[in-house]
Amino acid sequence: MAVITLPYRYLERLTGTDRQTIIDRVPMIGADIERIEEDHVDVEFFPDRPDLYSPEGVARAMRGFLGIEEGLPVYTVRPSGITFSVDPGLADIRPCLGSAVIRNVNLDEESIESLMSLQESLHWAVGRGRGKVAIGVHDLDTVTPPFRYIASPRDRSFVPLDFEREMTMEEILTEHPKGRDYAHLVENFDKFPLIVDAEDRVLSFPPIINGELTRVTTGTKNILLDCTGTDRKAVMTAVNIICTALAEAGATIEAVTVDGEEMPALAPVERVVSVEECASLLGLSLTGEEMARHLRRMRFGAEPDGDSRVRVLVPCYRSDILHDWDIFEDVAIAYGFENFDAALPATSTVAWEHPITTIARGVRSVMTGLGYLEMMPFTLSNDRVLYANMQREPTPGTLRLLHPISEEQTVVRTDLLPLLMEMLLANKHRELPQRLFAVGDVVENCVTSQMAAAVSIHPAADFSEAYAAADVLCRELSLTYEVAESTDPAFLDGRRGDIIVDGRKVGVFGEIHPAVLTAFDLEHPVAALALDLTAVPGYPVPPGTP
Amino acid sequence: MELTLNEKRLLVALGSAGTADAVVLAEKMETRREAVVQYANLASERGLVDVDKHVSRRYVPTEEGRAYIGKGLPERQVLESFEETIPMRDLQAHPLAKIAIGWMRKKGWITLRDGVVTKTGKTAPGPDEAAFARLAERGEIPDGEGVADLVKRGLVEEEETVAHTVSITPRGRELLSRGLDLREEVGTLTREQILSGEWKDLPLRRYDVTKLPRRAYPGKVHPYQRLIDEMRCVLFDMGFEEMAGGIVQSSFWNFDALFQPQDHPAREMQDTFFLGERWPLPAGYERVRDMHEHGGETSSTGWGGTWSAAKAEQCVLRTHTTGLSIQHLATHPNPPVKAFCIGRVYRREAIDPTHLAEFEQLEGIVMDEGVNFRNLLGFLKEFYAKMGFEKVRFRPGYFPYTEPSVEPEVYVDGLGWVELGGAGIFRQEVTAPFGIEHPVLAWGLGISRVAMLRLGLRDLRQLYRSDVEWIRETPTYGGRR
Repeated sequence: MAVITLPYRYLERLTGTDRQTIIDRVPMIGADIERIEEDHVDVEFFPDRPDLYSPEGVARAMRGFLGIEEGLPVYTVRPSGITFSVDPGLADIRPCLGSAVIRNVNLDEESIESLMSLQESLHWAVGRGRGKVAIGVHDLDTVTPPFRYIASPRDRSFVPLDFEREMTMEEILTEHPKGRDYAHLVENFDKFPLIVDAEDRVLSFPPIINGELTRVTTGTKNILLDCTGTDRKAVMTAVNIICTALAEAGATIEAVTVDGEEMPALAPVERVVSVEECASLLGLSLTGEEMARHLRRMRFGAEPDGDSRVRVLVPCYRSDILHDWDIFEDVAIAYGFENFDAALPATSTVAWEHPITTIARGVRSVMTGLGYLEMMPFTLSNDRVLYANMQREPTPGTLRLLHPISEEQTVVRTDLLPLLMEMLLANKHRELPQRLFAVGDVVENCVTSQMAAAVSIHPAADFSEAYAAADVLCRELSLTYEVAESTDPAFLDGRRGDIIVDGRKVGVFGEIHPAVLTAFDLEHPVAALALDLTAVPGYPVPPGTP
Repeated sequence: MELTLNEKRLLVALGSAGTADAVVLAEKMETRREAVVQYANLASERGLVDVDKHVSRRYVPTEEGRAYIGKGLPERQVLESFEETIPMRDLQAHPLAKIAIGWMRKKGWITLRDGVVTKTGKTAPGPDEAAFARLAERGEIPDGEGVADLVKRGLVEEEETVAHTVSITPRGRELLSRGLDLREEVGTLTREQILSGEWKDLPLRRYDVTKLPRRAYPGKVHPYQRLIDEMRCVLFDMGFEEMAGGIVQSSFWNFDALFQPQDHPAREMQDTFFLGERWPLPAGYERVRDMHEHGGETSSTGWGGTWSAAKAEQCVLRTHTTGLSIQHLATHPNPPVKAFCIGRVYRREAIDPTHLAEFEQLEGIVMDEGVNFRNLLGFLKEFYAKMGFEKVRFRPGYFPYTEPSVEPEVYVDGLGWVELGGAGIFRQEVTAPFGIEHPVLAWGLGISRVAMLRLGLRDLRQLYRSDVEWIRETPTYGGRR
């Protein structure tokens, strides 16, 4: 998540209002306040609004929302005369390049920090961890245009940021902290992306690290921006957000010509939207003028276009506007969520309980009537509990997590009984008798179905108790069944039965094998049963599939 | 005041004398002394008798001591076994010689010269012998001169006796004078007694209601399940139908159908449990693909790029139940639809008191002609109010598959405003590929949060690895909120 630090004094200067107003109102444009400190506030903004990842971007939005400055912010782009070329050899490596020149920046330690933080947030939200987009910011006056973005041999060397010696790009990947973090993005390519100036000096090894040469300092007056990546739209989003944020801070933007294309293009995108569609979606009665006014407060350009439409100019930094409804949400935000008159719709429908829960409710009714307590164990378990402790072979079709997070949770349960045994262990110090049951999902071969299981532990727990419980559960669930001697190794030979319905084994009951008791560290006999609920009449077909 | 039968019998036994020793009473009542003391103590609590407890110390013979009773101490027996003199060798033949010779010499009764033992003439019995004689006479003696010597020699031992003297109080006497029913009490009422009418005259034993009963534990539905059922009831009341489905979902239903871009961070293995299994895409998946690539036939631009079918086939443990909602809508595209689901969802999170890798999510959808954002807020307000959260407010939110999106907050005493769930209207990018033409209001919430608030839990794990004691002690009905 992107948590942005907003220093009060800077923010107050940019916004033209006091800190308390901002703190009070910023959640209502879509944000969570994380921490309020003496000199700054940390605010989390949503991943679809990277344009709010800088104090300048927040100030721009808040000026509109608070009615201080409304409508489309206009950014002028002058030519710089600087050109950039892209090596066709990068087509399969990292083909996209966006660039701009930003002049007359006025940087202090705090604003450098803020710029770096914007860069990092964009790397996360837009750049997907630098794979899709990586951003480089350079002191333009340390290098000489034109610039070239090339596919370079891997043994080319330069001094990377934060180091004093020349390193080859391969060395950087193994020795530089940033190299180690991002090596996976480039290490499979024969050549590496590299940005050099007219004198073949290295500006950057995207997406890994800049050169020390172009380091941005408080003395930097003019900036060259490079954004490289694999997705042109995302690359341009990053360029637009950085350029407009710096422009908000007072800098001027100049265009760079990349293989003949002038960029950045900070012009808005036009969308003509329906007033009726918006009013209907939000449940408001709106005129085109009202809607346009709301949108101008959200920093869109907006004018009614006849009675039924509004012509909207979407600022270049609003990458979240994919669809007309994205614009309607901004109308709702400007209108104020707190001002909506919440109202139940008239939609009249009839309630219906899913048969799976009807059956589960039946199981609960029978088992609690027998004095059993319900448990709701985890569905993630492991081979030891599910199979080894039960003296059973793993069920074919057991699902295994590709990247489990702990040894305790590596597979999806195929049975409930072992989990109840584990519960008995967890409650070993509690008064006996203990009678526990569970009803819930089990999964085999990606198919989810439901099962019921029960255990009873006390000095006199035996086969008869298990049989009686299994019998009453089946009878109460209208299940006509037969019993056959079981071979389930979790149970004692001669004290175990299989529940058979229509020739299919759907359950088992009996006395748990002493070796299984020992494996679960239990000291008293356990009478147990398990029943596959798909056998119950009225069980829905098909069960849950992916 | 109701007396037990035994208390009554005690009063009767005391009746004539007014005061008696417990031993005497035991004889009269044909029971043990200890029982009499127990009845007397009960009656004394009611102020009917006084019990005077007197502790006395006495001495009784040990096993060795008993062997000399009636015969005298060993030295006396040996002394009397010969006249004035006897050769030592002959004296040693006496069975008690070993003990006796030492004591005779110690007491100065004999002298030994040239192997011949001669009586000194000073052989009068000392205090020890006198005490022993009294012991022989009475079987026990109080402390007195000579007793300490006998204790030292292990011939007698101390015994503490407690005597109880029971005396009737004026109140007891009054009660007695009114006459007492001395019939045997009955514990269990029998079928015969009920049928014959005998119960009318039966003195049924009364129980002491101040004593705690035996603790009984009923079978119970899990407290968390009860909360889930409460929520289901609220939704049934509001006319919703229930959905259910598999916990394994293809990425297609879990992500792609919900317009979650294929490079979205939630789709990486850090956040989601992926499985090796794949599941074929449903018919018509191309419409979802088109939506991702260019927005299909809506006003959307889509995400751009190339959509991968292979990525959509990968199975995951569902990260939400929203995939079920869209599948339900795809098969029920005609309005109105009001449906909900409560099911387990999975996030790849390390387990700690407030984070679990699996937990329950509640999700509801409403699809109908003309439903709108105001209606969504109306539903949320109504639902939370029915769950006991009267104060609700709304802030803008963000969810990839809804637009507009809203974060509801409820007011909880002691905690303030607490974020509880998320909601929004399904994006057209989500609904259009399945031919759903009307707005779909959707909301969801992690109900383990509600469980923590309502059940007062500090550790979410208690819901899934429950302490039997906790379930036994959590009331089935928690009282009105």
